[in-house]
Amino acid sequence: MDASRAAQRVALSGEGINQGGTARACLSSLEMKANAKAGVFQGEMASPFLLAERPLGQVGRSIREVKVIMAITDELAQLREQTLARIAEADTSAALESVRVAVLGKAGTLTGYLRGMGKVAKEERAVVGKTVNEVRNVVEEALEARKKKLAAAEMEAAIDASAVDVTLPGRAQQMGTRHLINAITDEVSETFLGLGYTVVHGPEVETDYYNFEALNAPKDHPSRSMQDTFYVRDLSGEASSVRGESDVLLRTQTSGVQVHVMEDQKPPIYIIAPGKVYRRDVADPSHLPQFTQIEGLVIDKGISFGDLKGTLDYFCKQMFGPDRKTRFRAHYFPFTEPSAEADVSCGVCGGTGHLHDGERCRMCKGTGWLEILGCGMVDPNVLTMSGIDPEEYSGFAFGVGVERVACLKYNVPDLRMLLEGDMRFLRQF
Amino acid sequence: MKVSLKWLNEYVEVPTDTKALCDKLDLTGTGVEGVEVLGATFDGVVVGYVETCEPHPDSDHMHVVTVNTGAGEPVQIVCGAPNIKAGIKLPVATVGAVLPGDFKIKKSKLRGVASAGMCCSRRELGLGSDHEGIWILPDDALVGTPIADYLKLTDTVLDLEITPNRPDSLSIVGLAREMGAMYRRDWKSPLDEMAAKLELVDDGADDVAVTIEDAVRCPRYSARVIRGVKVGPSPDWMVERLAAIGQRSINNIVDVTNYILFLFGQPLHAFDLNKLKGADGRAHVVIREAEDGAKFTTLDEVERALTSDMTVIATPERGPVALAGVMGGLDTEVTEETTDILLETATFEPGRTSRTSRNLGLISESSMRYERGVDDHGIEERSAAAAALIVEVAGGHVSGSIGGGVGIVDEWPSVSEEAHLTFRIPRFNAMMGANISRDFIVEILGRLGCKVEDGEDADTLAVTSPTFRPDLPREIDLYEEVLRLYGMDQIEATLPGGRGRFGTVSHEQHVKNKVNDTLRACGMNETMTYSFAEPSEIERLRLPLEGLGQAVELLNPMNAEQSVMRQSIIPGLLRSVAHNQNRGVKNIQLYEMGRVFFAHEGKKKPKEREKLAGVLAGAVRDAGWNEAPAPYDFFDGKGVLENLARELALPKVRFKALAADEAPQLQPGRAAEMLSGGTSLGWVGELHPLAVAAYDAAAPVVAFELDLEALERAARPARDYIDVPTFPAVSMDIAFVVDEDVTHERLVQCMISAGGKLLEDVRLFDVYRDENRLGAGKKSMAYALTYRAADRTLTSDEAEKAHERMVKKVCSATGAEVRG
Repeated sequence: MDASRAAQRVALSGEGINQGGTARACLSSLEMKANAKAGVFQGEMASPFLLAERPLGQVGRSIREVKVIMAITDELAQLREQTLARIAEADTSAALESVRVAVLGKAGTLTGYLRGMGKVAKEERAVVGKTVNEVRNVVEEALEARKKKLAAAEMEAAIDASAVDVTLPGRAQQMGTRHLINAITDEVSETFLGLGYTVVHGPEVETDYYNFEALNAPKDHPSRSMQDTFYVRDLSGEASSVRGESDVLLRTQTSGVQVHVMEDQKPPIYIIAPGKVYRRDVADPSHLPQFTQIEGLVIDKGISFGDLKGTLDYFCKQMFGPDRKTRFRAHYFPFTEPSAEADVSCGVCGGTGHLHDGERCRMCKGTGWLEILGCGMVDPNVLTMSGIDPEEYSGFAFGVGVERVACLKYNVPDLRMLLEGDMRFLRQF
Repeated sequence: MKVSLKWLNEYVEVPTDTKALCDKLDLTGTGVEGVEVLGATFDGVVVGYVETCEPHPDSDHMHVVTVNTGAGEPVQIVCGAPNIKAGIKLPVATVGAVLPGDFKIKKSKLRGVASAGMCCSRRELGLGSDHEGIWILPDDALVGTPIADYLKLTDTVLDLEITPNRPDSLSIVGLAREMGAMYRRDWKSPLDEMAAKLELVDDGADDVAVTIEDAVRCPRYSARVIRGVKVGPSPDWMVERLAAIGQRSINNIVDVTNYILFLFGQPLHAFDLNKLKGADGRAHVVIREAEDGAKFTTLDEVERALTSDMTVIATPERGPVALAGVMGGLDTEVTEETTDILLETATFEPGRTSRTSRNLGLISESSMRYERGVDDHGIEERSAAAAALIVEVAGGHVSGSIGGGVGIVDEWPSVSEEAHLTFRIPRFNAMMGANISRDFIVEILGRLGCKVEDGEDADTLAVTSPTFRPDLPREIDLYEEVLRLYGMDQIEATLPGGRGRFGTVSHEQHVKNKVNDTLRACGMNETMTYSFAEPSEIERLRLPLEGLGQAVELLNPMNAEQSVMRQSIIPGLLRSVAHNQNRGVKNIQLYEMGRVFFAHEGKKKPKEREKLAGVLAGAVRDAGWNEAPAPYDFFDGKGVLENLARELALPKVRFKALAADEAPQLQPGRAAEMLSGGTSLGWVGELHPLAVAAYDAAAPVVAFELDLEALERAARPARDYIDVPTFPAVSMDIAFVVDEDVTHERLVQCMISAGGKLLEDVRLFDVYRDENRLGAGKKSMAYALTYRAADRTLTSDEAEKAHERMVKKVCSATGAEVRG
């Protein structure tokens, strides 16, 4: 756009934007109506018929006058018929408007008669005026009726002309997507927020103490080995670090957050802690050296294994659907006692282990159950180490592998896709 | 651990419904990882009767036989076994059968004679080591009977996942006890009966001594001596049992040690006694720490470097002869020439055994058991059972002379103690949310091997947990035992009551949620990349990180490309850009929120910072039927951040141009720093073409990286309300012609400050350059201005006056000219 042209534009905000012609037509139409209402006739301008051809002043009264009146009414009748015919002939709004202007416009034929009323003899005015007004009314009505009809027709034509192929793509804003793992994490977080839990986070680089020791892991637990856990160089300058030994590691579980929370916070504690964890697994379709866990921890008075069951049963139903069942299998984890693994009934085979055709369900390998999380009552050693009296408080903890949930819910065939950033994968969720 | 149900059934009644058994095992804590029905591998192998036997016309040792297999015509088979003859019954593998080792039986010709099957030896069926000839079956064997049925070979073998806390379950007797508790059935151990078979023979030689140097490393070590054995094949029953659980028969001595290991969970080692003996004719076995750097060749013929953390069995003359608890030495192993055996029955420290086996990559059946803990009680009995069994299968006698005439040299410097515990029944039930009866608790703990007595009052029990259950040192451990055998499924599901608890979303979480919502609304796709990084990637990105700290180095990375922790998210995103572009995906909008890591000298743990990074490449989408989106450039990245600033209600946001030396990662002239109230939030720009090329991606790539914590600090929880205007505004346009170095920001600042209260809004709608019309180094900046008074309708006169004043001031401040 040419700036200089626009720069000089000054406009009053809120002003109408009528095209000149239309606006004028409207205004004069209004003017006319107002004049008619007030009964004012402006006599200076004569009707072409009256003044130019038959000046009233030049003739006498009586028969001549009657004849004049007759002649005017005849003319008006003729004008009416002609006008009505032209109205009926007008096939567009524009044509109709030109008829209106020709008859009722400022210089219109009928307007001429109206304006010439002043020159009509006083006693004749009533008769002539009445006739003129009648004609005007008839013409205006006809114009209005025709206008409506034409507008309807034109709208219809315009609608017909603007029909589109509704199967053409819409003009949508392109929305982005949430990463599947974080979408699931959100879903889990919301479920537990609803149960009165708070979401907390912990460091991804931990010390051995928070990742293992305070969680009751035996000193020589295989998971602590260099084969299974990533260790990072310790720059503290301690003697051991100088020898290249390190007790600083990438957390292998989010459970360490439990310990931080128990140290910093007095019971009751109701938290979940989602986050990345790291284990020395070679990346393949079912393993990643970096994955996501959600840790849950409850410490309160009178917490029972039944509460653990009820909570996780609710969680599984929220995540997988109300018709899914859960079961708890005894298991072993160093930081819980008793410990269990929870399974959710298989959604593919409905927990039967086989499909309708009798074939073994591949999803659950025929067991009817899918392993979903590890859990248990918090081991009293863990409570004691964090300064909580296990005689007064009890609690439960659980850990969910988010990638595992992703696989179960969406059948992701290869976990590595989660870290590749392939747009074709990401845009699916 | 593999367990043969047939074997197990000898000691406890095993339920016949295998599926139900597996479910019950699963639920009570012994995971079933596999179920294998044995006997199926012998499909097509039947009892056959040799009707005729003629010498092979073209061979001096083969025969051509016709065998009745009980189905249809007799089949002709060429057989090379020396003991083949007419009138005997034998196992015949018919065409289509698959023998162990995936050996398929097909129709073939042997030296011109057709052969449709195979007469089998024990070894060919994997049922023995005897390969001297075909297996002649008794005359009463019914022709045509499948061999698995005839031999009652059908067995179910379960592959069980034994959790690390359960050393006792790594044995048949342990599982028999467990099953007894699961089904509340009695079971019996064969130990006493087997040990009772031991007969000591006084042979006058007291030639073994044992010294334990460190009782922690080795709490107990016992040696027995069996003299005059004949090393050879094992009896069939033992071979079958071992074969069922996947153990190949080696010889009768080694097989006995394996048999005892699987039966009782007691690893044993058999040395060739004579190879241990010194010049004095005595074997002096010393259990001590290994010398750092010492070399030792294990049974598998691999030479291993030892460390002082490892424990060895050694003799003064030979040095190490076995890696304690892990594997014996090659030099002292039992061979076919061996006649005298020193049988080791011992316990070793779990932790060291575990480290040793892992550090050497040597995980054996023996180390698996020692690292979980082998009971030091009952060693003498298990040793007796093993020695008696050796005599039974290999002959010879157990020396009664060693140990000063007691028949065993048994050092036991560290005796494990039983745990005496109080079981509080009401507390147990409260903690489980259950109401389990005292009787049930007493019964279950008893069946598990605990001694259960009445406690101080009716609500308590005095429980002694056995030494073979080192996982039961505390009251809580007993709770788990009762709960799992009562059945977790029996516990009613409840929800915690709890008062005064509410779920809250922190400010940080709230900001992150908003960031996610905003970026998604901007059309960006969240991704996740590795936190691992390649050491040179920051340099390749040309990203300056001076003063932020060094990369966190992994001591044991998976590979060189992932050997440090990332310091920026951009390299990961760039790799994803390349990944997409290589696959023909051109339009890329990615972002990630995550941590980066900076180490500092003198600090144990690195600083973790949360970052928000994004990349844009290509365009928002491919050209469509009604629009052709422009390719991404700087302003698309900046637009995302502007939206973010709005959504987070960041105060006083501005973008400052970054010079080439301030942001080498970005293309000079298309690089900016995002600030809020003077605090830097991060950068945005088009990545430098060299940086993009270093990641094999195609430029241009627009990128930004913000400090999430700075965003969280700057974000305001709520925006201020501004009255919706009630009076009409006056719009005016103005075009300023200015020098190139006059920025939009400068002009806007001038207009706002000069425009006074009445100037409500300034919107840039055109930037125009034309050397001929405007002059070189000049540009025209056209703005649409909105003037409005809050309390009245502004007249055009007032607006024009204010406008003229403003234009004058801007021109004098910036040297602008109004474009006419």
